Order: sequence, then C-alpha cells, then structure tokens
Amino acid sequence: MTEYVIETNGLTKQYDGKAGCRDISLKVPRGIVYGFLGPNGAGKSTFVRTMLGLLQPTGGSALMLGHPIGDVETRKRVGYLPELFRYQDWLTGRQLLETHADLARVPRSQRKERIDRLIERVGLTGRENEKIRGYSKGMQQRIGIACALIGDPELIFLDEPTSALDPIGRLEVRNLISELRQQGKTIFLNSHLLAEVENLCDQVAIIHKSELIVQGDWRRLSDVKTQVEVRIDQMTPRLTERLGAIALHIEQLEYHRQDGTSRWLLQLAGEENIPDLVDFLSGQGIRLYELTPRQPHLEDVFMHWIERKEREYENDRLAVI
Amino acid sequence: MKTIALLSFKEILYKRIFLITLLMTIGFLTVYGVANYFISGNIEEEMVRRTPAEMMQVAILAPTFLNLGLYFSSFITALLAILATVGSISGEIENHQIDTLLARPLKRSHIVLGKFLGLGLLLIAYSVFIFAGILSLNQLFGGIIAVQVSLGNALLAGLYFALQPLIIIAVALWLSTRTSTINGGVILIILYVIAFIGGFIEQLGVVLQNTALSNIGIVSSLTFPTDSLFRKMTGTLVDTENNPLSLATSGPFGNFSEPSSLMITYAIIYGLLALLFASRKFAKRDL
Repeated sequence: MTEYVIETNGLTKQYDGKAGCRDISLKVPRGIVYGFLGPNGAGKSTFVRTMLGLLQPTGGSALMLGHPIGDVETRKRVGYLPELFRYQDWLTGRQLLETHADLARVPRSQRKERIDRLIERVGLTGRENEKIRGYSKGMQQRIGIACALIGDPELIFLDEPTSALDPIGRLEVRNLISELRQQGKTIFLNSHLLAEVENLCDQVAIIHKSELIVQGDWRRLSDVKTQVEVRIDQMTPRLTERLGAIALHIEQLEYHRQDGTSRWLLQLAGEENIPDLVDFLSGQGIRLYELTPRQPHLEDVFMHWIERKEREYENDRLAVI
Repeated sequence: MKTIALLSFKEILYKRIFLITLLMTIGFLTVYGVANYFISGNIEEEMVRRTPAEMMQVAILAPTFLNLGLYFSSFITALLAILATVGSISGEIENHQIDTLLARPLKRSHIVLGKFLGLGLLLIAYSVFIFAGILSLNQLFGGIIAVQVSLGNALLAGLYFALQPLIIIAVALWLSTRTSTINGGVILIILYVIAFIGGFIEQLGVVLQNTALSNIGIVSSLTFPTDSLFRKMTGTLVDTENNPLSLATSGPFGNFSEPSSLMITYAIIYGLLALLFASRKFAKRDL
C-alpha cells in the first residue's frame, strides 16, 4: 500500500496555453482530509477532472492510488461528487444508486444493504423512490454524495460538496466527512468556503491563477505571524510606541468602561516573543488580566498566501515594465 | 457496457419520446390500414370488367401505395433514430451528466458501444413493428392492391429496413462525440435529405440514361447510404428492377436500379467505421 494516494508531478492542463491548472506537484497522504483551496476560477475543478481522466493533461504526470491517472481499474476505488452535479433525472434516487452500484461493480449481495444505508446516511429516507427531477438542489447534492460513496471508495473527490445545502445539510456533510476520515478514507475536498473546511482539513493546498502556491498542514503554513490578544489596565501613546520594539502590529479591539481595561491585538514575530511581551508589560507596571494566543484561521492563512502571490505578480509586472 | 446499454434503452422509454412515437405510429398505421381498405373497396367496385387498362392502373397503384407507406415508416424511424441518438453523448457532455459515469471503472469506448447497443435494440424493435405493421395492413386490408410478397422476401426486406436506423445511430453517435446536439441534428437531417434526393436523381438518371444524374445518386449514396438501404428493401419486397414501368408504378419511392449487395456491405462497413470513429474521438476528447 503506497503512502500517498495522490502524487502529481508538474501536472498541467491548459486550454491554448491559458487558464486550467499549471505545474501542480502535490502529495496527498492516505487517510486524511485534504483541502484543495482557491478562489473561483483558480483551477481546482480542472485539477480534479484531470485526475479523474475527464480532461487530458497537457503536461506532467500523476499517480492516483499508485497507478497512473487514466487507469480505468483504479477508478473502482475512487468516488466523485462533481461541482456541477447533474444526474439522470428520469431515474429515481434508488435507481440512480443501483445504476452506479452496477458501474462501480459492487457485489450484488451487498447492493441493497449498501444503498439503504447510504440513503439513510444522506437523509433521503422516504424520498428515494421519487424521480430525481422532483428533487430540490440540496436533495440532488445529497444523492450525489451517496453516489460518490456507493463503491465504498478509498479516495473520494468532493468538489464543493455543500454548495447547495442549507446550514443543517452542511453540518451533516461535515460530520459525514469526519466519519469517512475515521474509516481511513482519504477525502480530497475542493472548496472556497474556508470557514466550512477549516475544522475538517488536516492538510491543504492553495491554488491561485492556475498555480499551486503552497501545501501542507495549514496550521504550520503560518508564515502568518503569531497573534496574541491581551487585556490590560492602561495603554498610553508612549507605551504603544515602546511596545513597537516587540510587537510588529498593535490594534485596539475594545475598551471596557466599567473597569478601565482594554483589549488589544498584538502581532509578534514568533511564539518565542510571548514571554518577552509578558516581561515588558510587567516591567512597565501594566496589569495583565488576560493573554490569549490567537490561532490563525484558515482564512488568514489563505489570504496571506494569496496576497503574497499577488504582490509577486505585481513585482514581476513592474520589473517587465 | 451492459449497464450503459440498459440505461440508454430505459432513457428513451422513460423520457416518453418512444411512447409518443409509438402512439403516433399506431395512428399512422390506422390511417394507412383504413386507406388500404377503402381504396381496394373503391377499385373493386368500379372495376367491373377488369380491362387491361384497369389492370394496368392497379399494377401501378398497388406497389406505389405500399412503397408510400414504407417510405414514411422509414422516415419516421430515421427521425426517431436521429432524435434519440444525436444528443445522447453531446447532451450529456453539455450538462455534465456524463462526468459521474466516466469517473467509474468504465472505458469510454464502452459508453459509445453501450449506447449503440441500447438504442440499436430499441430501434430494431420499433423498425420491426412499423415494417410488419405496414406490410400486414397491406396484406389484410389491401384486397386488390395488396402486393404479393413471399415470406422470405419480407424477412430479408425487414432486415434491410432495420439496418437503416442502425447506420443512422452509428453516425449520430459519431457526430454526438464531435459537435453540439443541435449541429449534429441539423447535419444528420440534411444528410438524410441529400440521400433521398440523390437516390431519386439516380433513378431518373437510369431511366433517362443520363450518367451525370446517376453519378450524383451514387455519390449521395456513398455519402450517406440510407436511401440505398431503402431501395434495396423495396427491391427485395417488390421486384421491380428493370421493369420499364418501375418509376411510374413506384413513384419517387420505387426502384428502377436496385442497389447491389455490395452496397449493403458498404453500408455495414460505413456504420462500423462511424462507430469506430465515435469511440476513438470520444476516447480522446476533453469533457
């Protein structure tokens, strides 16, 4: 069993040398939720569609579950929910799952039990014998998720899996993804809804304008600086100025009129500066009521890398001029 | 491949296009049967002495009326084949319905062959129904205008009749892998019309002994051999080849110059090549 379920080396799919995805090299370990993030039109879906053989790559190479992409047999172990999910709407939900069970070569003896279980798991019990054309968009996405899971796949590509769901549906899908991870499955999650995937993803890759910017454990991708929130009893302009020696950025968040304390957000160069900050404040006779290291959100990490890339593009453009 | 064949088969049934066509076909057959009954009754009433001139009229009218029914049956079958097939791949590409199918352990060529199989079986069943319907009505209610047909000839003619939609399905699938649904439909309908007009021009060319006209017909037959299949079918059913009255007796649907068996072989190879090109094109294209 290979360590990585996806390994790409410079995988490229471009249309007349433009758009698509370019030179994507990434490794997705087994049994994790891998977030593939990027703004709309960044090339996320193009990458997934190339991995699944729907698009022919124009460069590079890739392995999926240890086999070159395009290998038909490998797809038996892969599930896919497309972003633009459309199914044969003249079938019922159950008939659709039966068709896909057949295509995914699910043993006949297991089909009924698996279909019943999936219908229940995606919350379509009682509606499974209705024609798909009568389903709402959310219900179609639910049957699409069931379809992606019908073959009991090791690797599941979910392209914007909650785009049509209400908040309850989104929570259910997040729970389902966590369950799948516990079962040892790998989920490749395409999304631009960062708050949604923040608690799900073990690792992420960020793609922007067709290029991979960064990949890895997103909590460690913090070129994003350490941030701490402090509540103190006084802050003068002079003190703020002197604090500049330790903090890169200072921002007042709130002032508590009752007790005269105020809450501040300080950006430090690194975690090692937190004790220095405490020493400095106590040295200045400032009473420290709270100090909370603030975990960067995935959105902060994402925006940091996107903005950094944008600056690079801008510098390159200016250099050419 | 079997699953795709079944899916394509069911799709046409579930989408009601087949049911509607079937109901309309029953209507068409009813009208044809009633017309047969009244025409034969009318002729028998008026033709008291059965003079040679009257018998000549019957000899002209009988095959014309049968060929007329068969021609429109062939046209309806062709139309059903075009409408059912031309969007079967392009339509699914356009609305991304095909994505989840292709993410399964399934070769792309199996999608093409599966669709051919599913739609082909359905169209064969329909062809047999409408062909047998026309022939039976002619025999049952045609009376004096019923054309004498042997069972062997009827079976062979039925085979040629059913081959026509199969060729159309193969070409439609090829177009469906290359162009949009609308473009594919327009191309196919125009090809069908060219084949019909070319076939008629070829018959005229033979009668008038005009090589240029004959060649036009040959080129159109080679471009799209459906009309040749139709003429081979009528020629098998009613032997009018080299009959000086052929054009008069059968009208534009008749057969002065029946296509050779080589033409049937050509049509089969034509269909197989279309299917091969469809598979190859679909295997390579981005979706």
